[in-house]
Amino acid sequence: MGHKKKRSHPDLEELLARPWCYYCERDFEDLKLLISHQKAKHFKCERCGKRLNTAGGLSVHMNQVHKETLQCVENALPNRSGLDIEIFGMEGVPEDILQQHNQRIIQNFYQAQAERAAATGNPPRGHAVQGPAKKIKYETPEELKKRLAEHRAKFAAQKAAAANGTAPQVPQADGAAAAPAPFPAAQPPAYPYPAMPPTVPGYPAAAIPPFPPTAPAGVYPAPGAPPVPGAPGASFPLPARPPGAPGAGAALPQRPPFYNGAGAPGEGPVQKVGGDDIDQLIRMAEAGIKPQAQQQQGEKKEEGAAAGEKKKKEVRMVYADTEVSPEEKMALLPRYRWVEEAAA
Amino acid sequence: MAPATQFEVAQPPNDAISAIDFAPEAPRFLVSSWDKNVYLYEIASGSEQATLINAFEHRAPVLSVCFGANQDEAFTAGMDRQVKKLNLVTGEQTVLSKHSEPVRCVVYSSEHSLLISASWDSTLHVHNAANLSQPHITIPLPGKPHALAASRTKLVVAMTARLVHIYDLPTLLSAVRSNTQTPPQPWQQRESSLKFLTRAVACMPNDAGYATSSIEGRVAVEWFDDSAESQARKYAFKCHRQAAPEAEGGGDIVYPVNALAFHPIYGTFASGGGDGTVALWDAEAKRRMRQYQRFPDSVAALAFSRDGRYLAIGVCPGFETGMEDYSGEGRTKVFVRELGETEAKGKGAK
Repeated sequence: MGHKKKRSHPDLEELLARPWCYYCERDFEDLKLLISHQKAKHFKCERCGKRLNTAGGLSVHMNQVHKETLQCVENALPNRSGLDIEIFGMEGVPEDILQQHNQRIIQNFYQAQAERAAATGNPPRGHAVQGPAKKIKYETPEELKKRLAEHRAKFAAQKAAAANGTAPQVPQADGAAAAPAPFPAAQPPAYPYPAMPPTVPGYPAAAIPPFPPTAPAGVYPAPGAPPVPGAPGASFPLPARPPGAPGAGAALPQRPPFYNGAGAPGEGPVQKVGGDDIDQLIRMAEAGIKPQAQQQQGEKKEEGAAAGEKKKKEVRMVYADTEVSPEEKMALLPRYRWVEEAAA
Repeated sequence: MAPATQFEVAQPPNDAISAIDFAPEAPRFLVSSWDKNVYLYEIASGSEQATLINAFEHRAPVLSVCFGANQDEAFTAGMDRQVKKLNLVTGEQTVLSKHSEPVRCVVYSSEHSLLISASWDSTLHVHNAANLSQPHITIPLPGKPHALAASRTKLVVAMTARLVHIYDLPTLLSAVRSNTQTPPQPWQQRESSLKFLTRAVACMPNDAGYATSSIEGRVAVEWFDDSAESQARKYAFKCHRQAAPEAEGGGDIVYPVNALAFHPIYGTFASGGGDGTVALWDAEAKRRMRQYQRFPDSVAALAFSRDGRYLAIGVCPGFETGMEDYSGEGRTKVFVRELGETEAKGKGAK
């Protein structure tokens, strides 16, 4: 339904598709709402409250019924109150005004998006997947190249060393070496975590190819089981990751590890506040105060009362005494009271 | 088509308005006020203004006023429980009778030269205005009267507990002439068509029926004729209501309908409510013909001139439930609307 809040940030097509009012630039969920808005705000007769469909209709109505001349459209923006343009819903809006409006919507959209991105550090909606990747890609190429160069150098050295040692190691080392290169690109989020080893994962593995069965166990005690040769990269980052939602946290490397489980970046501080609240609650509970609960009860009561009123809905009588007339009540006021003796 | 104009009277009463009545011929009208005065205004034709001719001070707030047989004679009633004759030329006030409680309404029947007063002591006093030396007769009522109206031959009294009594004016005339000791019985006793306290009554100029209004934003129209056929014609409708803002839980704010007045020529009628609006209704077609621009305060009284050319509108703050204090001071206004030729003309039943 209309009132169920969709996403708080609709995309541009949705914004542009929204019907809007020529007179006041307000936009609406659908055409029906726009038309009822126009009837209520711009085409309503100020004399009798009749709602007309168009400014022209109102003009005729004013003329015929009240013998008055409609000067301008009510509640309109300064340069939009003219009667010369016949507007009904979205019909009749001049092309240039339409363009202006769309331009404004587009501009506002991008501005809002930029502001939001700046405020939250989040990528714009719909770019969530590419966004972080892009960010990292922007930062990594040199690094990547550098690392690749380093790796190649080492690999070359390794190869040279391997060529000196056992031949069968080569394809294995080759596989291990092949893995690290794509690895940082495929799973870039992994490495900035503080919990991660400072170096690129797989790198050490590749660096110690001569002793595959023993060396990994010594370097990475966490996995426990001896890593399968050729797949050290896969087994390695998992345990090192903080528990929670590693994927969600991926885009936000700078976040403190403690709050990793809680999706949005804004929640970091919020949670902190919550923590303070909880602290406060505990302190209050210790002191025997229960303000929170009382407040909630109060709110519930209010809600209950509001619901009751809603149910009754109906009418509020300005004067509700069914036995005594207003004049009788006025007669009792000192202002109007009349005492026989005083006058006699 | 003569254009409709509306203007505000320059010297309005100082406090709330209780009644307005137009003179039989001249474009003059009287306004009674809680400020203890009765004001006489004259509309200067074509100049869009009404001038105060005189103000007649009373001992106590005046609750009702009406013209008598001519434009120099008026009757008043008020908080001091007296029914008075007021000579508008000399300002002389003559006490005609005394009730034991404040007198709410006075009505003059020109056809029968009768003056009827209704008081919160639950009685009517009927005077023979043609011969005021004759003693009045007292008619006991089953409840406090709140509104009174006369047509050519009938008198409608609306009381508390939704009681409505209709008296036959010729019967009253003969009773007062013969000074009978047994008070005349009502011609008809009815229960109001409206569920709430009656606020105003007005009779149709064609002597066929009357309209009543209540504190609960509603107006009823019914006919004197007691036949089932005529009674089936009666109806009531909601009016003078406003939708409350959604923020306050929605629903309607319901205002009392303080005043009713029939147009003497076309038989349409005007209603004035606590919402500060005046609406014009076609009783036959059951349609609203007009609703005039909202006035700054509650509409307390309405009166058409006898030729139907003018509508006088008394505006002052309305007394509302919960008011500890009340004053109409500074906010009381009188407006006069000169109607367009066909402004109040109904289209007839459809």
